[in-house]
Amino acid sequence: MTRNTFVRLTLVPAIALLATLALVSIGGAIWFALSNRTLRSPDYDFVGAYNFLRLLRDSRFFNALEISALWEVITVSGTLGLAVLLSVLIYETVQKPLWRNLICFAFLVPVLLPRVAAAFIWRFMYSPSLGVINYLCGLLGIGPVEFLADPSLALMSVAVVDIWQWGLFFTVIVLKLMETLPRDPIEAAMLDNARRWEIHAYVTLPMLKGPLISLALVKAVESLRSFDLIFVMTGGGPGKATETLDLYAYQMGINMGGRISYASAMSLLLLLVTTIAFTIIWKAGKKWAA
Amino acid sequence: MANITCSSIVKSYGDYPVIDGLNLDIPDHEFVVFLGPSGCGKSTMLRMIAGLETVTGGRIEIGGTDVTDLPPGDRGVAMVFQSYALYPHMSVADNITFGLRRQGLPKAEIAPRLTQVADMLGLAPFLDRRPKNLSGGQQQRVAMARAMIKTPKVFLFDEPLSNLDAKLREKLRTEIRKMHLQLKTTTIFVTHDQLEAMTIADRIVLMRDGAIEQMGTPDEIFERPASHFVADFIGTPAMNFIDATIEPGHVARSGSIALSLSRDLFPGLRPGQKVELGLRPASMDLVEPGAPNAIAGRVVLVENMGAEGQVITEVDGREISFVTAQFRRVKPGDAVRFALRPDQIHAFDPVSGRSLLGA
Ligand SMILES: Nc1ncnc2c1ncn2[C@@H]1O[C@H](COP(=O)(O)OP(=O)(O)OP(=O)(O)O)[C@@H](O)[C@H]1O
Ligand SMILES: [Mg+2]
Repeated sequence: MTRNTFVRLTLVPAIALLATLALVSIGGAIWFALSNRTLRSPDYDFVGAYNFLRLLRDSRFFNALEISALWEVITVSGTLGLAVLLSVLIYETVQKPLWRNLICFAFLVPVLLPRVAAAFIWRFMYSPSLGVINYLCGLLGIGPVEFLADPSLALMSVAVVDIWQWGLFFTVIVLKLMETLPRDPIEAAMLDNARRWEIHAYVTLPMLKGPLISLALVKAVESLRSFDLIFVMTGGGPGKATETLDLYAYQMGINMGGRISYASAMSLLLLLVTTIAFTIIWKAGKKWAA
Repeated sequence: MANITCSSIVKSYGDYPVIDGLNLDIPDHEFVVFLGPSGCGKSTMLRMIAGLETVTGGRIEIGGTDVTDLPPGDRGVAMVFQSYALYPHMSVADNITFGLRRQGLPKAEIAPRLTQVADMLGLAPFLDRRPKNLSGGQQQRVAMARAMIKTPKVFLFDEPLSNLDAKLREKLRTEIRKMHLQLKTTTIFVTHDQLEAMTIADRIVLMRDGAIEQMGTPDEIFERPASHFVADFIGTPAMNFIDATIEPGHVARSGSIALSLSRDLFPGLRPGQKVELGLRPASMDLVEPGAPNAIAGRVVLVENMGAEGQVITEVDGREISFVTAQFRRVKPGDAVRFALRPDQIHAFDPVSGRSLLGA
């Protein structure tokens, strides 16, 4: 048996399983999207592209699209920004390996927390009457602030939880990446009159450009799956302020209307948009990292 | 342009001192080579002068200014690393000008300096490339250009050529030397290659276990090694060492070997004194029977080195080697006689290892 046949033979079962799962559900979604099924009645007719055309006239769909895009941008940039900032700070200030490891360990805890648990903890901390954050705000003479009930704050407040979980985790990764960098270019930069922050801005972080782009993509994919966090913390509210596409699809298909055909059409559009968006970002990222 | 003064430098990692009370004076314009075996503290010394390593004790002055507590960027030094340490994500031009840009020099001033340095080192065609698309020798030149463009007071080189093949090494060695003749910047060059040190240095600082064993011009170090260690370290093939006893008439005897020594060089030798003789293979040659100061041996091995050959012989059960151009005449098993002039014999104290010159 040649190496290639071996590779193929061992890959086939897993790929077949994945393909079946993906194709069956996508096929099912297309099948549903072309009809007008609801959970309320067993009857249905084929309606062709009707659901898709309706979607294009649904302002709540476009609102959800916008919230989803906003959610992606805020969580991805927030996570990476926090990770880079904290890792540089730790790299510069904490020299003892023991302390670094303890900090890394502590930073890993939030991401190990089930997201629903994290959501409940933070919902409680955000509470205007009982929450510790509003207590602290009170000490500063602010508030009480309706973090989750104020439409202008709600999305940010939920994003903070996501960034807290993933930003700290990514801090550990970026710090470990920085530790693997060769010392010499950093020392060369010191001899080249670069200040501390300039060394990181011009030397260490650019050297980590490739890994950072990969991390951003991982986080972008991960951010698409934030249904549980948002659902527990705000349920999409107040109003539609935190209603991302998956929440809207859920509301339409399962919760309120039971209009599963409409929800399926929405999921398909979501699939299409993300595939296109990620292909473009991936290509651009690769070119930029080179 | 500046002289360098290091006084009582101590460097410890934990309790263990790597450098212990080292004193060193380097005059302006001089090309000094730190030479020594691996782990003797050459890089540590260089990095302390650069400011990349803190000193545990002592002071360092560059051009009369105490720089001991200054950060690396403020010392007016430029360094070329063994790994080149180029910034991998920047173009060659950006690599070279990074330091000037950090100093906040205007673009109009940087551009002509870049052109000048790039022309000098033949880098003009590569300015837009990334370092990873250059050969090792080209990367080395970029590293040198990056150091030169800053017109520093002091150049520091840490084994800059050891990742290159022999031919390129020789070429760049000559280039570095030429560059020094032109710029006259005080330079410290670290290497553990004695041939490199001999060819490039104005003065060699030979280090051993964090202390200076001998400091002097290449000729001084080669012709008047201060100790067994120096004599052994310098010169290829390595020096032969023979334990001998002084006999009346200023003759050193060891078994069948009897060599008369120079009374001018070693006035203090007394009969009965134990000495260690040092005989350079390159100072000895085949002689006819009856010649003075000859050693008789049996050939064990002949090593062809091109123009010359090293002949390894057995004398009284120990091996002594010499170098001759007539090596093609001898073959293993032959009995040969070889000799050297009395003033080419080195003698060391067998206990302390110090040279007995003038003693
Ligand atoms: N960070 C460190 N911690 C502990 N010991 C160190 C450290 N750096 C260097 N040393 C020790 O200091 C001594 C001198 O090291 P140094 O790098 O100066 O040697 P060197 O002469 O440059 O050797 P080489 O020719 O191999 O480069 C060595 O014994 C080394 O083990
Ligand atoms: Mg070294």
